[in-house]
Amino acid sequence: MSRVNPRIDGSIRYAIDQRVPGSWHLRLVRSTIPSGRVTSVDTSLVEEGVLVITPEDARSYGSYGCQIEDQQMLTEQPRFVGDPVLAVVAATEQAARDAVAVIDVDYDETPAVFDEIEAIAATAPLVHATHATSDSDSAYFDMRPQDGTNVCHRFRIRTSALQGRTEPDLVIDPPALDDDPLRDAFAQADVIVEDTFHVPAAAHVPMEPHATTAQWVDGRLEVTTGTQTPFNLRQDLAGLFGLPTEGVRVVAPPMGGAFGAKTFMRTEALTALAAKLTGRPVRCVLDRDEVFNELTRHAATVHMRIGATREGRFVAKRMWAYVNTGAYADCGPGVAQKMGYAGVGPYRFDHVAVDSYCIYTNLPPGGAYRGYGAMQSVWASERLVDELAARLGMDAVELRRMNLLRDGDAFCTGEIMHDTHFEELLDDVAKAVSWRDGRAGKGVANMLKGMQTPSKAEAEIHQLPDGRYEVRSGTADMGQGATEMLTRLTAEYLGVPMDQVVAPTPDTDRVPYDTRTTSSRSTHMMSRALEAAAKDLLNHGSIGRGFVSNEGGLDPDTGQGIASSHWHQGAASAQVDVDPETGLIDVTTLYASSYAGRVVNRAGAELQNEGSMIMALGSALFEEIQYNQGQMANPNLSDYNIASALDCASISHRVMEIPGAEVHGLGETAVPPVPPAIGNAVASLGYHPRRLPMTPERILTSRDEDTP
Amino acid sequence: MTWHMPTSVDEALRLRADNPDATVVAGGTFVGVLTRQRLLDSEDWISLQHTRELTALNDAGDLSVGAMVTHRRMELDPAMISGWPGLAAAFAVVASPRVRNVATVGGVLADADYASDPPAMFVAARAVAEIASVRGVRREPVEDLITGHYATSLAEDELITRVIVPRPTGKAVYRKLRTRSQEDRPAVAVAVARRGEEVRVVVGAVSDRPQYFPDVCASWQPVEASAREIADEYAARISYIDDSRGSAAYRRHVVGVEVRRALMGVST
Repeated sequence: MSRVNPRIDGSIRYAIDQRVPGSWHLRLVRSTIPSGRVTSVDTSLVEEGVLVITPEDARSYGSYGCQIEDQQMLTEQPRFVGDPVLAVVAATEQAARDAVAVIDVDYDETPAVFDEIEAIAATAPLVHATHATSDSDSAYFDMRPQDGTNVCHRFRIRTSALQGRTEPDLVIDPPALDDDPLRDAFAQADVIVEDTFHVPAAAHVPMEPHATTAQWVDGRLEVTTGTQTPFNLRQDLAGLFGLPTEGVRVVAPPMGGAFGAKTFMRTEALTALAAKLTGRPVRCVLDRDEVFNELTRHAATVHMRIGATREGRFVAKRMWAYVNTGAYADCGPGVAQKMGYAGVGPYRFDHVAVDSYCIYTNLPPGGAYRGYGAMQSVWASERLVDELAARLGMDAVELRRMNLLRDGDAFCTGEIMHDTHFEELLDDVAKAVSWRDGRAGKGVANMLKGMQTPSKAEAEIHQLPDGRYEVRSGTADMGQGATEMLTRLTAEYLGVPMDQVVAPTPDTDRVPYDTRTTSSRSTHMMSRALEAAAKDLLNHGSIGRGFVSNEGGLDPDTGQGIASSHWHQGAASAQVDVDPETGLIDVTTLYASSYAGRVVNRAGAELQNEGSMIMALGSALFEEIQYNQGQMANPNLSDYNIASALDCASISHRVMEIPGAEVHGLGETAVPPVPPAIGNAVASLGYHPRRLPMTPERILTSRDEDTP
Repeated sequence: MTWHMPTSVDEALRLRADNPDATVVAGGTFVGVLTRQRLLDSEDWISLQHTRELTALNDAGDLSVGAMVTHRRMELDPAMISGWPGLAAAFAVVASPRVRNVATVGGVLADADYASDPPAMFVAARAVAEIASVRGVRREPVEDLITGHYATSLAEDELITRVIVPRPTGKAVYRKLRTRSQEDRPAVAVAVARRGEEVRVVVGAVSDRPQYFPDVCASWQPVEASAREIADEYAARISYIDDSRGSAAYRRHVVGVEVRRALMGVST
């Protein structure tokens, strides 16, 4: 019961520790150009005994992609600097590295496009000639690719009065109000504010890099890999290699951090191919710079317009989000959808119209990142609410309070809200910065974020011969405390001590199906599956099974439907000083409040909340992936800083619990509201931040441009 | 791969002379990063971890700091805090305690990394490096030791053995401006040490090496107008780098602000 957490005493075995004796090592030859074709390859200096895998070897297996099938294991037509064009497999890691170093690849470079706005222009080079959507479980909504453009998905929200209009398929430049076919949405508004905001790409920086071992055993593929998505991976690997899903086994050991970086297919397919071609177990571990290039947070440009009455009642919101998904879609369409509705915020509007475009560029792929699209649009929406408050001459907290969603209100998707706590959260964060005692240097922000809907979670509890209980669940442990959650809840539901429960690593051969460990869904969904499994076991003997699902989904053209079966609700506040001569922001208070419903593990919940805030603090103040002609300029921890212990002194927070409420997820809730809370605090001192991160240099410039 | 572990300076110098291609490792914070990033690949290493002589710190007369004295000791040693508080302050803001516990005085000078904190303060404090080889011992002011980007005047067989810093007679201020994490290196660093009515202003982390202009400092008077004038002149004279911590234009602007503030810090 009081055993030390194995992450702390070092006894844990991560994916990277799962060495199989006799493994060969996979290294990748990566494109040095952002767009073009491989014209020749010289492997004459590669030592004997090293296998070089070419795109030709991989071609017959076809394409993959969790939402759009746009990616091949190796390509002759690289689409970003870092795209794998060849792979080598050797008996030692050093031999594989040596081989990569002596391979010479020539390219014919073609025009590339990096910026999401430039990529949507009619004249932009196409990153992919055609769009092929996926029929995988991960493509849980209808795609709206725009043929002949770089838009691989378009998500729209149109509340009822705005549906059925004649509109252009693609809006490249958000029109002025008078030129917008939906301008009548703002007819009742006395005051309208609008602005453009930008969030750059960022890195997840899991301490453990991506690590995979693959082996073929009697025609079956066994993959041990750090993944948040073992069942999606099983399905996609089976599809690629022409196997039934049972022909693939995915084991997901605990991860040394993931934050979204270890979702869907990463290096697993290529490692499996290498294992097939060599007839040996093959191991692939990425270097730090490769981790940076493997998957990033989506950069996004968001243009937003809000209209309100003189009294401050919100009338209408219009939003255009341009989401930079890089060279491959990955789950970018899903991110664009969530960015679309999260940007509306937890407010009532008469009318809402949102266009969110998922756009290909010649940059590393964007993918899941803690906050999943919400951070980008919440940055825009909560900054703009403060601009509106300033224009109306109203208090920023009161303006929000007046318009917050409450139980029984309809969200812009049409769904009716329940279990809402936005007002308590807002009051809590305002109090944390003594809002009543003066507003200078202070800011608040609200947010709502959806959870994966639809989804399924299933759990089994087996009584072992020694009397203990084994939890079989697909929930992966990436440092968020999943194993402890599973163990603690099972013990509680069965009424036994925690040391009578074991929760082994997810193994698709042994555990029942679960959608994936993402979107802060696991504690909410799996806890209920476990509760049902425990009941089943107590009623029916030695094995219990429990299953839950949530139903819903959104129409991609109107955004109507069920966005989320339960809502992540959060707020943040900040107090800052700004040095007017250097632009340095000193955050003296940073506070976040997240609604948790019933808390399963208080210490764990608090760590999650703090972790979200720390990650968001970095994004607010200094984290940004920089590119030079498509080449990442700072893929290391010297040139790319993350928040350190010294940056966290101002942080305090609350996990808001309501006894008897249902269990809510909170793994990401405190990420999106932190940057705008800081931004609004900075803005209260006469600056006008629109771009993240708020570097001192940008803060100085934002005053020069805008101080009245 | 060979690791040499000399236990005396004499032995270290002989090894250095006999193995000109060997890489010297002191605390390992710099060499470790280079090795991990595969920018440095050495077959021969000379570790100074067992060279106890190099860990001496004495404050009789001038300060004498052995090359293997750690940053943490420079920050916390009572002799430092009472006698050389400005220098101690510059070491106290380097990276994190984990780095300061192992990073050394000799290492930070031999690396000559433009973004390190201590070199600018050493120059402001009139520090002199003692450099030894099998050929003998020489002394060189730190401003001459560091010649450019990761470049020093050290010959292939030489080793920094200690640094000598005169006892200060006036205030010293170290201002470190970080634009990213609080564990980051400076975007702009200003070290100022006063000696009677004279002052040395040294700007670090903005160019290839610490920037010191004696002719500009010569005009200093402990008043704001003078501080402003010197700050503007420093801002104008330096040729700036542009990196992920700040653009050249931002650095120029901030040097004008921070030099003025640092000078005002020693004016009263």
